[in-house]
Amino acid sequence: MTTNYANPEEYGLADLLCCAASREVQDNEIVFAGTGLPMVAIMLAQKTHAPSLKLIFEAGTLDGRPPEIPTSVGDARCEMGASRASGLYDAFSIAQRGYVDLGFLGGAEVDEYGNVNTTVIGDYLNPELRLTGSGGNPDINSFAKRTVFIMVHEKRRFTPSVSYITSPGWRVKKWPGGEFVHRRELYGAAFRGGPSAVISTAGVFRFDDETGRIYLDTCHPGKSPAEIREMCHFDLDISRVSGETLPPTREELRLIHEVLDPEQIFIPKVKKG
Amino acid sequence: MSTGKRITLQQAAEIVKDGSSLTFSGFTIWRRPMALVYELIRQQRKGLHLIEVNGGPHTEFLVGAGCVDIWESCWVGHELYGKYGANLSRRVGNKEILVEDYSHAEMMFRFAAAASGAPYAVTQTSLGTDIHNPAYDTLGNAGRRDGKRIAKQKYVFTEDPFFGAGSQVLVPAAKVDIAIMCVQQVGEEGTVRVSGQYYSDPEAARAADITIVMAEEIVPEEYLRRNADQNTIVSFEVDHIMECPFGAHPTGMFGRYDVDGAFLKDFYGKTRTQEGFDEFAKEWIFGLDQMSYLDKLGWPRMLNLKANTALNYSTSVKRGQ
Repeated sequence: MTTNYANPEEYGLADLLCCAASREVQDNEIVFAGTGLPMVAIMLAQKTHAPSLKLIFEAGTLDGRPPEIPTSVGDARCEMGASRASGLYDAFSIAQRGYVDLGFLGGAEVDEYGNVNTTVIGDYLNPELRLTGSGGNPDINSFAKRTVFIMVHEKRRFTPSVSYITSPGWRVKKWPGGEFVHRRELYGAAFRGGPSAVISTAGVFRFDDETGRIYLDTCHPGKSPAEIREMCHFDLDISRVSGETLPPTREELRLIHEVLDPEQIFIPKVKKG
Repeated sequence: MSTGKRITLQQAAEIVKDGSSLTFSGFTIWRRPMALVYELIRQQRKGLHLIEVNGGPHTEFLVGAGCVDIWESCWVGHELYGKYGANLSRRVGNKEILVEDYSHAEMMFRFAAAASGAPYAVTQTSLGTDIHNPAYDTLGNAGRRDGKRIAKQKYVFTEDPFFGAGSQVLVPAAKVDIAIMCVQQVGEEGTVRVSGQYYSDPEAARAADITIVMAEEIVPEEYLRRNADQNTIVSFEVDHIMECPFGAHPTGMFGRYDVDGAFLKDFYGKTRTQEGFDEFAKEWIFGLDQMSYLDKLGWPRMLNLKANTALNYSTSVKRGQ
């Protein structure tokens, strides 16, 4: 099969992120989906290269195959076609038991070791802005073998030190002192992995196996490594760039806009000029 | 058989006292007991302690109205229709409310512990995060940890004494006075049948000392007992029941009606300021009762949200751009 990649004018940034996220999924994996673009990405994978992936919605749908995209994981649209619809105790027990291969998450800030903040901007005790809070972000990230973060890329969000570690990266705080240690040391027998990628609106980032430090893997079309490095407050490693992020294929775009999200709930259609 | 469990919305709200601790059915923007939340606001309840697996519009309404002193949970927002809880955010900034952060799984396991009569739960989640930062023990810092309703400690680290599996976190049982549930069906004797995902409802109902159930319909108890395997909450776990159609609006209910996204978007947009909240509450809560609220929403709006009974969700509601 020849791959029929779309031209830049045929897709938007949300399409690119969705397809990049979808490609992180391998067939037969058990994937934990948060609300939003990740749901479209996972369902896209389900309809392309990973037909046997198993989808878990945090609110309690297990091995879901929704015929219509849910707008959130509590949605009535989650259940139809699922192996079981129950509740959060099941979803989190299954995750803690070690079934989950991959989780998709979001974040407001990320540091160079993949620690993510979704709780507060500024000092926790005197916050500039209180955000949504953790939700299941730290849980999925603690329990899954790999987690992928999807984020808007702004310089202030790629910071050497997040305001609050909501979700654990590769070097995390050991309490009560708060000194940074490798995640493996803290999690002991419960260690299964950690953040494997950050997909931002600028590029795809990965983490060094040994040090857990972030590096740039691919640049989205039109962005250079040097430019992306300028878009981070920490010193981004751009020595390992493997190329450009692959664009969506025409078939992926068709699936996103005609099958998965025709209502444009999460992914707007590019206006044909 | 009537068991005298039936009460009115007004009576249900009166069971909740100033300072009561509360939890709720549902998940973010689904199956929240909004009609009773509105009634608590009308009755101007103060000093509430919300302990919930996750928050949502009901949290935002109660917090915006100044009913809440302590919020213990992990998340608040309106999903697609409002990205964070603007009322909670404002009141945290003004130091008008105490917030205790746990993770989602920690909150769930805390309820499971309470529901099984255990003093705490053990988990391996969120190690290395600021959720376990000792400086961020809000209730401890405020001197509120009395060891009665509020645990003496936020959490305790321990090592697995049985299999040597390393660090574990113990989190205290979520002890709550009252659970307020909003479900599809309840029987005269209190048996609850939830359709669709039941979220953390069974644990919430069992954890609370008093469980109040508002249902879309009260059905004959015998009807539910014909298929007991499909029931979600046991009759004797439920203390009070009431029939309250569309009681979850603007949140959604599996098989009955969708989330009213336009209403939530409007609420989120207009209640960033206290003045905005007060205006919104004046329009949609004060001076109305549940029937006049539904009347104000009107038939076209509600029919649009009404679920298709084969699919369990609305096929006419506009969800996207």
